[in-house]
Amino acid sequence: MTSQGSRSSETDMGYGPGTIKEPGFRYRPMGRDAEGMELYEIFIGPQHPASGHMRIVVRLDGDIIVNADPDIGYVHRTMEKLSETREYLKSIPLFERATIIDSANITWPYVRAVEQMLGVEAPLRAKYLRTLLAEINRISSHLYGFGLTGIFINHSTMYMWSFGDREIWVQLAEELTGARLTHTYIIPGGVRRDLPQGFKEKALKAIRYMERRLEDYMKIFVYNPVTVARFREVGVLTKNDASRLGIVGPNLRASGVHYDARIAEKYGAYPELDFEIPVMEEGDSLARLLVRIEEIKQSMRIIKQVLDKMPQGPFFADKYMRLIPPALRKHVAETGRIKLPGAFIRLKPPAGEAVARGEMGHGEVFYHIVSTGDTKPYRVRIITPAFRNVVLFRHLTRGARFMDLPVIYGSIDYFPPEGDR
Amino acid sequence: MSIADRIRRNPLYSLKMHAAAIATGLRYLFAKPRMTVRYPEYVIDLGRNYRGMIRLHKDKCISCSLCAQVCPASAMKMYKLPGEKKMYPGINYQRCIFCGFCVDICPVNALEHTPVHDIAEEDMEGMIYLPLPGRFDREWKSPAEEEGGRKVKVEFDEEEGLKHEPE
Repeated sequence: MTSQGSRSSETDMGYGPGTIKEPGFRYRPMGRDAEGMELYEIFIGPQHPASGHMRIVVRLDGDIIVNADPDIGYVHRTMEKLSETREYLKSIPLFERATIIDSANITWPYVRAVEQMLGVEAPLRAKYLRTLLAEINRISSHLYGFGLTGIFINHSTMYMWSFGDREIWVQLAEELTGARLTHTYIIPGGVRRDLPQGFKEKALKAIRYMERRLEDYMKIFVYNPVTVARFREVGVLTKNDASRLGIVGPNLRASGVHYDARIAEKYGAYPELDFEIPVMEEGDSLARLLVRIEEIKQSMRIIKQVLDKMPQGPFFADKYMRLIPPALRKHVAETGRIKLPGAFIRLKPPAGEAVARGEMGHGEVFYHIVSTGDTKPYRVRIITPAFRNVVLFRHLTRGARFMDLPVIYGSIDYFPPEGDR
Repeated sequence: MSIADRIRRNPLYSLKMHAAAIATGLRYLFAKPRMTVRYPEYVIDLGRNYRGMIRLHKDKCISCSLCAQVCPASAMKMYKLPGEKKMYPGINYQRCIFCGFCVDICPVNALEHTPVHDIAEEDMEGMIYLPLPGRFDREWKSPAEEEGGRKVKVEFDEEEGLKHEPE
């Protein structure tokens, strides 16, 4: 928020002559510094195409950013409060809508927390299927962020390419779950659908295509000297600051901190898979891009392993399968689609608390659920990665040039609906 | 020294990378459009796995109302229509989020997804599908397909990513 109090009455000149009245983009002089230079306050958004569903209030001294304040909350949908009015199962489609581009990863820790309270564990095959969808989502989330980074610096080729290639991963997710974005695939006890026939061949084709395309990405965008000039040594986040500010996800790893909730929490099929956590030391905007490229490669490596190692067996917990009639159990085995028992509507975890965390494309998401033994949670606390990373707007932009702001915004991959919940 | 630093310090290397970027762009300049499907002349075949419009098989329905209870968006409700003894579900597509919980919870498979999603209604009331003949139990078909649009199948391809082949 703008700090109204810090502005003295004589320096506050309001909207004087010379104010540009362009929609979504306006500035006003704020007074003069010691050398007689004017300080300006610029409002970017919330209607500006590059601001997302948020506003950034920038104070400028010439071309240098004195302060940039992210003004968030424009897409706050009271998800935590809404979930208190819903049964446990019904909150899953709700939380998906916080990060619609990464819906498997944001609901997985919630489901795991509910499972902990219910005392259910998903069968191994379900864990593999969850991992599969989570990694498909991670790739499409990174590609989405990549495309926006491209268009922020007017590289519309990168925007078109990564949004086009994201379509492949969205299509893969659709074949697995039946929906393009809001999969609602991970439910307490397992997953909703088994692996469809011929999925492995399709996924391998997609991976081979993407590996080749990533090389093109490097040539046309990442190692394009224009991009390097704008991203290198811009918005440097030191290792110390990254851990002090509680930054998560690729932004943290680009600053040299080896931390990933997939490793730390050991959930899903991750402990059985062989993959690396890409870490870079530089901490600048380019490093944040490169870490995401490496993560896409690692995700594809995980998908290959998941498809190779996919164990046979049920994809839904036996505890709930026993509740449905034998004829339906046969139907589940034949069609590979789950049939939910009627009791599933009113899941009743015993009174208590559960916490779970998971790694999304943007970083670590954390859930804290408090149950009073009712069918609805007493409290659900969600801490999303975008909300933790929003502090970077203020931290990284101080002292940067104004035209570095879109680069920094793009590189930290902030997703307003996720931050606001 | 990293590639990025070489680009910044060595002008010759920078020139090489400029050329590589331009060459990559040129290579795709003449490639045919890959992903665009010219709807409504062509309609993507969504396949039977797709979670599209929901269809009720009224003869199978046992009026257990589980579908209405599980609906997270309160789109599905039970209706008792005049002249009928039992209640049957009706769906409000103003609210439906296509999560498919109702289909998954139906103990007699009376609800099913259809691979159709391109439906538009003229008014808000039209989006409420009551369990009347020809409404909630209707067999869905894409309007584009009904008017002569050709179905295309989505195929994964190593070279082009996604291919849309006419059936």
